[in-house]
Amino acid sequence: MNEKKLNIVLAGQANVGKSVIFNHLTGLHQHIGNWPGKTVEKAEGTLHYKGHTIDVLDLPGIYSLTTYSIEEIISREYIALRKPDFVVNVVDGTNLERNLIFSLQILELESPAVLALNFVNLFKEKGIEINYKKLEEILGVPVVPVAAIHGKGISEVLGRGIELVSGRIKPKSLKYGQEVETEIKKITEFLTSIDLPYPKRWLAIKLLEKDREMERLFETEHSEILKKVKESILRLEEIHGHDSAIIIANERCHLASEIAKKVIKITKPSKLSLNEKIDLLTLHKIWSYPVMLAIFALVFLTIFKFGNWFSSVLEGITAGWWMGWENIFGASILASFGWMAIKSVISLIEIALPYIIPFYLILYLLEDWGYLARVAFLMDNLMHKIGVHGKSCIPLMLGFGCNVPACLSCRIMETERERFITGFLTTLVPCSARTVIIMGLVGKFVGIGWAFGLYLFAILMIFGLGKLASKILPGEATELIMEMPDYRIPDLRTVFLQTWFRLKDFLYVAGPFVIISGIIIEGIHLAGWLPSIANFLSPITVKWLGLPAITGILLIFGILRKELILVMLAALLGTANFAQALSSVQMLTLALVSMLYIPCIATIAVLWWEFGWRKAVGITIFEIFFAIGIGGIAFRLLSLA
Amino acid sequence: MKEGKELFLINIKSGEDAEIISILGGQMVNKRLSDLGLTPGTKIKVLRKAPFWGPIEIEVRGSKLVLGRGLASKILVKRYE
Repeated sequence: MNEKKLNIVLAGQANVGKSVIFNHLTGLHQHIGNWPGKTVEKAEGTLHYKGHTIDVLDLPGIYSLTTYSIEEIISREYIALRKPDFVVNVVDGTNLERNLIFSLQILELESPAVLALNFVNLFKEKGIEINYKKLEEILGVPVVPVAAIHGKGISEVLGRGIELVSGRIKPKSLKYGQEVETEIKKITEFLTSIDLPYPKRWLAIKLLEKDREMERLFETEHSEILKKVKESILRLEEIHGHDSAIIIANERCHLASEIAKKVIKITKPSKLSLNEKIDLLTLHKIWSYPVMLAIFALVFLTIFKFGNWFSSVLEGITAGWWMGWENIFGASILASFGWMAIKSVISLIEIALPYIIPFYLILYLLEDWGYLARVAFLMDNLMHKIGVHGKSCIPLMLGFGCNVPACLSCRIMETERERFITGFLTTLVPCSARTVIIMGLVGKFVGIGWAFGLYLFAILMIFGLGKLASKILPGEATELIMEMPDYRIPDLRTVFLQTWFRLKDFLYVAGPFVIISGIIIEGIHLAGWLPSIANFLSPITVKWLGLPAITGILLIFGILRKELILVMLAALLGTANFAQALSSVQMLTLALVSMLYIPCIATIAVLWWEFGWRKAVGITIFEIFFAIGIGGIAFRLLSLA
Repeated sequence: MKEGKELFLINIKSGEDAEIISILGGQMVNKRLSDLGLTPGTKIKVLRKAPFWGPIEIEVRGSKLVLGRGLASKILVKRYE
């Protein structure tokens, strides 16, 4: 057989193990980008299977295919219009009934489909039995039991899918209640002469659901059809006493429940499951909070300790490199520019390896285990006070690693308003680079207690400013709606890949800025402009902040890369023993201003990318004034003490 | 099981069972909840409520969902006693 090209998509609700299957299929041969013009991630990959080259597209994890969010529109348009060879509908077998509601909508799009029934490895423990054959008969599509975490069943999914391609079998059309079916049939008849790329029955159902996107297709030329639809809707609403969208949703839920009843047998285990036992503690009314604090204290302490140790090891390794470079290339201007570029790359590695990688590894372990959903549950109320809900904890925590991937992860928030508030607040989270400053300056020379004090202050600021932002910005906070996943053994492959993708965000976005900024700094340095910059800023640095004039240079270059503040301070002072040149108050003020004053240039670029230039510039200007204001006040208060 | 009076989901204690009567609030909210299988007539069980006026965790159609309190105060249910 020749190498045949196939095009398949993975579709499924959130938390069904879709990404585990995707990673298993494509490994590192995947490309994560954006849907054109949208801030929605698009993950694609390629694999080879039994003489086929298969392009796999991972559709965003969603709850339904009715117009609620951009993700949902993207997914259904893709399935309906691009007509993939087959759809792999990944389903959580331990939540079959609810997942079927989504599957029914996939099947309505009349694309060939395979149902990948995931988590069959948990069935025994949960006392679940599913009659696959019967489910297959009812739905009219292949049903394959899968244990994605062990890689079981995945190649069978492909095999059954490829069989479909040669046969082009369409899924059975499942019938709703009689009244609804009558109206669907009527509308389908009106649609026979209409030339649209969507399946007719699906179109009829969407129109009955008052789907705005679909109504728009008819508004100009076929408004007479919309009139007929309106009549049908009124008839249905008369009978059922609900909105027609709710009636259809109800029918779907009912159908899913009927199917579930026919194929599932559950024998509930009499004793508490391990999951319930863990939740007795991790979701306990009182003890859950100390447990959460303890977990995060442990996480941060481990990372600080490890990061400090590892970065000093790295510094030791690279310390002699400059000498080597000078020996080879001499001391020309070109050589020093070249060295600056190399040094920038080294500094990127010195942040990434000791801090960002371990942090994301631990965080994604916690997520895959199921703990981050518990954090969202416990923190929801607190987050509501600042106008967002529990889920925004996750981007905020990512911010402690690096603000760049944290800003990108704000896409998990449902509305533009929450996306923006969360994005703004993540830029105030002390990232790894700021940790280097806080620990290297304050932790080392003033006291570790003061360093943690700065962290606490940053967190309080985040809450204060979040509250302010939620008051100023129009719109209401949306409510938390989230699935509570069971605890499960983390899939290391997924954890590593997630960490790698966030690291890639960091390297690709921040990397070029870091290298270019390194070269610019060297240029300014060689041109001898540093003293004039220091002088120009001295009214702010010396008079208002009480710092030495050279800090003006630091604050300018800190925009390019925050940890440069510390590196350049050592270079300008000619010593790394900062206590010789700065008082404790000065060190605290400098660390505080560095922590708050501006997101670094890479973060500004991401803000621009995600929220537009106005908001990016707005946040930047606000944070400069805010940090300088707070810094001056702190200097005066601390001097009193 | 005897049917009790109508009240809002937030007033159901943890461990109690109830059935959804209707969901007050806009079409968006209704749509979102029905996608998750929360429609009138659905049986639910309140598993736990987060302290400090936090969200509530419910069991519905064999899976566990978390709903914010504001949302739970829009869901009218009848309690089983």
